[in-house]
Amino acid sequence: MSTRVPRRHLSAHDMEAILGVTSKLAAPFDLTTMLAEVVAAAKQVLDAERGSVWLHDAVADELVLEVATGIAPVRMPCGTGLAGACARTRQIINVPDCYADPRFDARVDKATGYRTRCMLTLPLVDHKNVLVGVMQVLNKHGGVFDADDELLATALAAQCAVALQRVRMTGALIEGEKMRQALEMARVVQMSTLPARMPIVPGYDACALFQPAELTGGDTYDLSLLDQGLLIVLGDATGHGIAPALSVTQMQAMLRMAFMLGADLETAFIQVNNRLAETLADDRFITAFVGLLDSATHRLRFHSGGQGPILRYRAATGAFERHKPTSFPLGAMPLSTLRPAIALDMHPGDILILLSDGFYEQCDLNGEPFGDARVQEIVHAHYSGPMAELLAQLLRSVEAFAVGAAQEDDMTAVVVKRESAVIGQSFERGFDSIPDLVEFTANAFARLRIDGQLLPVIDLAVEELFTNMVKYGTGSNAAVQVGLMAIDDGVELTMVDRGVEAFDITQSPDVDIDVPIEQRTPGGLGLHLIRRMADCVEYEYKKESRQSRIALRVTRAGMAARSAAMQGTGGGNART
Amino acid sequence: MLALEQGPDGTVSMDGRLDAAQSPAAQAFLDGVQGTVTLDLSRLEYISSAGLGVLLKTQKRLLATDGRLRLTGLKPHLRDIFLYSGFDQLFEIEPARQP
Repeated sequence: MSTRVPRRHLSAHDMEAILGVTSKLAAPFDLTTMLAEVVAAAKQVLDAERGSVWLHDAVADELVLEVATGIAPVRMPCGTGLAGACARTRQIINVPDCYADPRFDARVDKATGYRTRCMLTLPLVDHKNVLVGVMQVLNKHGGVFDADDELLATALAAQCAVALQRVRMTGALIEGEKMRQALEMARVVQMSTLPARMPIVPGYDACALFQPAELTGGDTYDLSLLDQGLLIVLGDATGHGIAPALSVTQMQAMLRMAFMLGADLETAFIQVNNRLAETLADDRFITAFVGLLDSATHRLRFHSGGQGPILRYRAATGAFERHKPTSFPLGAMPLSTLRPAIALDMHPGDILILLSDGFYEQCDLNGEPFGDARVQEIVHAHYSGPMAELLAQLLRSVEAFAVGAAQEDDMTAVVVKRESAVIGQSFERGFDSIPDLVEFTANAFARLRIDGQLLPVIDLAVEELFTNMVKYGTGSNAAVQVGLMAIDDGVELTMVDRGVEAFDITQSPDVDIDVPIEQRTPGGLGLHLIRRMADCVEYEYKKESRQSRIALRVTRAGMAARSAAMQGTGGGNART
Repeated sequence: MLALEQGPDGTVSMDGRLDAAQSPAAQAFLDGVQGTVTLDLSRLEYISSAGLGVLLKTQKRLLATDGRLRLTGLKPHLRDIFLYSGFDQLFEIEPARQP
């Protein structure tokens, strides 16, 4: 039986009771305490023996009895029993004799030995009209619940609903914050094992980039110089969150430790795999590239547990080679043998390119992935520059591609380039280019690791030849090409000038340096110096393209020999 | 880049690179000196034939009025250039001053 709520005012005493309860309900209780408070308040205000609160689980559409004095938690579908009917209709139900009402479920009484006589069941609906749960108060002392009690209960229920909802939302926020802090911690651990700086490997330009996703992904990399060579690792653990971030960190640390203890590639790969197979959850694994590069023989050997594509840019052909993994992902199951490692001989200018899924699978707003064709395009455009610049460009391109779309996964890239032996650049024909030439030769010497002792000679040769080209090649607008190549013990300079008349610098006469000062002029001095300071100078002219090509070499041995020969001639006294 | 400066004792110091790009400025500066002038080249990093031309022109002008350039502080790799070009015979070159 249900009764309409009569339009009557609360008495001052009742109001005081409700307000007292309301102030308690505003306190920052946890859910259990708050439920107990609500039940205690209901019992007090309605003068009832017992009370209980069913919380509404919106996902399951069930009522959950979290607290009832002396009764364990129970779940019940909405629609069942008096509480379920109340949840459906959101109407107060006042039953003066429960055992006369077919909706009453006597099983609880049977289980507890308590006898329910009368019961008031009312919906808990918050101010956003969300059903929070259902409150039941049982057995009014000395009678049944009347219309006044319904009015009181309705007022109380509104307060309780808001208080309970607040506690539930606060709880969810606290859980979220705990999760965020744990993720942040995992991220710190993950980042802490990454190399602090890129290793310096003679003849190589090795560089890596790690762009974490907002939520933790499971990427890692390593670039470390060890006794066995340059260790190159790129790993990606399945999934997101704390577990992958920590497991990939564990893998990276184990690999580094194994190699530091002297393990070879196969032993380290198998041992780390087997350790991970023991410790990782059954549905977890880590894709990983593990390679060792011998920078003296230029041989790279690697195993890849499910990590791909493994790209190599071939400088000689401008083409990309793709290599497949040699094994299944690490930790998937134990390994006893491995197929042979893949060995690549790195030639001058070759680049090994390893990127995690985060790059290839980053989508734009239409859901199209970045893909490896775009990666190859960028490598093609930037292969000749520093690898740090290539990586920066790659990241800029992915970000521009994905503009507006979220970064779903960690983005990790490792690139290792064998320096090409030649570095070249074109220069506008004009004296204004001289500072650029100076900068170019200094940079090229640094990148090609040529002995800086030879730099002043090359600078002199470049300037003398270039100024000659500017002065005498007036008919040409073509830029002058300058190339530097590291050779055994020294450097070779090549300069190409197009659209000009032939002028064989090897045939120009020497300056007579013994004439008195009145007869000395600066003319011809530049070429005179070049011929004396270089080991050899070559000149070549192509009629069809009207192209002059000058090549000269300087070696440390040649320089030492010239210096020794000079000791005899001495010099320093003026002869004027 | 190249910086030229004449000290209170008349010594002119050159700091930087005396290449084809810097020669006009160096020439303009040295056109203003008279008599016997010491050139402190201890901070000169580089010289090309254009720079040698500047020194030659200045030396000829000063010699005509009984003056001259005296060079000090020449770095070893620049000394080679003076030897190869025979300029060691055109200038009085003093050994680098000991600090």
